[in-house]
Amino acid sequence: MNTFLSILRSLPGDLIRWCGGKLTAAARFAAADHPYVYLSGCALILTDLLVYVFSDEYGFFLSCTPLVMAAFALCAVFALAALAALVSKRRLKRRYRSQSRFCTPAARRAARYGSYAVWAVTALVLADRIHVLCRLIRSVMAMDTNPDPFFQAMVYMFYNSRSLFLTGLWTTLRLAFFGTIFGFILAIGLVFLRIQTPTSRDRDHIKFVKILCSRFAALYATVIRGTPMMLQAFIIYYVGFGLFTDHTELTITEINSIWSFFIAGLTTVSLNSAAYLSEVLRGGVESIDAGQTEAARSLGMSAWQAMMKVVFPQALKNAIPAIGNEMIINIKDSSVLNCIGVVELMYAATSVAGIYYKNLPNYVSAALIYLIMTCIISAFLNALSRRLSLSTYRGIPSSN
Amino acid sequence: MEPILSIRGLEKSFGDLKVLKGIDLDVQRGEVVCIIGASGSGKSTLLRCLNLLEEPESGQILFNGEDLTDIDTDLDGLRQKIGMVFQSFNLFNNKNVLDNCTLAPMSVRRIPRQQAEETAIRHLEAVGLKDFIRADSRRLSGGQKQRVAIARALCMEPEIMLFDEPTSALDPEIVGEVLDVMRNLARQGMTMVVVTHEMAFAREVSDRIVFMDQGVILEQGTPAEVFGNPKEARTREFLSRYLEDKAL
Repeated sequence: MNTFLSILRSLPGDLIRWCGGKLTAAARFAAADHPYVYLSGCALILTDLLVYVFSDEYGFFLSCTPLVMAAFALCAVFALAALAALVSKRRLKRRYRSQSRFCTPAARRAARYGSYAVWAVTALVLADRIHVLCRLIRSVMAMDTNPDPFFQAMVYMFYNSRSLFLTGLWTTLRLAFFGTIFGFILAIGLVFLRIQTPTSRDRDHIKFVKILCSRFAALYATVIRGTPMMLQAFIIYYVGFGLFTDHTELTITEINSIWSFFIAGLTTVSLNSAAYLSEVLRGGVESIDAGQTEAARSLGMSAWQAMMKVVFPQALKNAIPAIGNEMIINIKDSSVLNCIGVVELMYAATSVAGIYYKNLPNYVSAALIYLIMTCIISAFLNALSRRLSLSTYRGIPSSN
Repeated sequence: MEPILSIRGLEKSFGDLKVLKGIDLDVQRGEVVCIIGASGSGKSTLLRCLNLLEEPESGQILFNGEDLTDIDTDLDGLRQKIGMVFQSFNLFNNKNVLDNCTLAPMSVRRIPRQQAEETAIRHLEAVGLKDFIRADSRRLSGGQKQRVAIARALCMEPEIMLFDEPTSALDPEIVGEVLDVMRNLARQGMTMVVVTHEMAFAREVSDRIVFMDQGVILEQGTPAEVFGNPKEARTREFLSRYLEDKAL
């Protein structure tokens, strides 16, 4: 529990450091002499972009014309001065710092205060936009009919179908979480089959069984990895359904309550993850130095003991980031299960789109929810692997 | 007296390359045998065959009269009595120093934890690592790792110890600390087979020197015989290369 809390606590800092790293490289040239000017230049660009969001709506700040005129005049002067400084820097190169008029202490001070003002304007514009956003959402929530503008329609449909979206979100999370857990358990079994190698000391029938186990696990991984998950979902659903109709006297309704779309979907995700994770674990086992096994065997431990007590624990620890990645992949890839009627997030978005005859806004809503989920979970997993001092995978893993 | 280890007609190839071409060697109880020879002469392979980490194609390895190469022998049981120390230490990376030493006694010999830990601490004390029992085995220096590896092997109370170039991966200034531990072990009467390039150590500690060349034992005898008056030209050649580097 404490570990969990401390991970949560370190998250914001980690995120900021990550963003910082990406920007610093680009910033170095422009920021070398006037960091304040550089930062407020960024603020200006941000302000400019913000104004174009809901450009026909004005909040408490932008509706006050004289204030806006003053603020924008200030920004314009500041931007022109900064531009002049940049040109001067390009022209003077090394001599800029010693010779340019933009580098006198007075000019630097002016630039600093100017940048504070620009940041203030940005903050005001941002607050104004948030004000507009809240007002819009409130008004949309009170509406009886689907409004026309894109954003309003998106909010309207999300708000009015929120229970469907939330059901879908919850199902997606359950599929990804339990699918990964079950897949992992199966993968452990598979990898033990996979790594069986006959030795010259084995009896012939043992050799045969070992080869059979290893071939079976390899075949399983090949079949699963070589076919689309959507197709697997269909096959698994209909195979299960067929088994119930052939071997039981249950009615279709009864079968559907046992072999539900969700259970079939969860089976698909689990079997799929099992194949990928077993390959990950096999790689993990193979990456452990052979000397570890040799040392264990030389002490009289059996092959099984050497695997269980020495090699596998190490392989498992190295595989933790990959298991996390599999979960993120499952969040995204479980979306194909809408084809067999699992009510997950993609299914919810498609349904709502069907109800309102409006597609794009709902798919954008779903995309945003997926994005938020994957970002949160990958940030959490990165923090976790850093804590366990494992190699981390930056960014969001791509599909299998 | 019956030798503790008796090797007859041992042959081993890697692919087309024949590494051991018929080795016969007896090791008596309490004897310290050093195997020397140029790189690629097959001495490490021979040592690794002695506890069947490498499987020979033909020949016999009799340990206390039991043939290790026989498919019906309890190999794991015999390996408990044959300690091995590797060039690359091979400490278990997922265990601390103490757990490295107690893992095999507890899981193989079913010794209770407390007793296994007492034995381990005694052996770690003997190699001068009493203060490191809870240390992460990955954070030790090479010399410390190798001393833990020796203590780990001793915890199984072996009847013979095999050393596979135990100091080759160490910095010159810490080779001594490992050799000291081995010297003590020899003095306590442990049967040892050591593959080494440390000629001074071999000369001082061993009862018998075995010189290997191209997969065969070319010459063997007491240190005085082999170092003082080598019979074979190749032995002389090999030793002279060492004499140029270091004064023996």
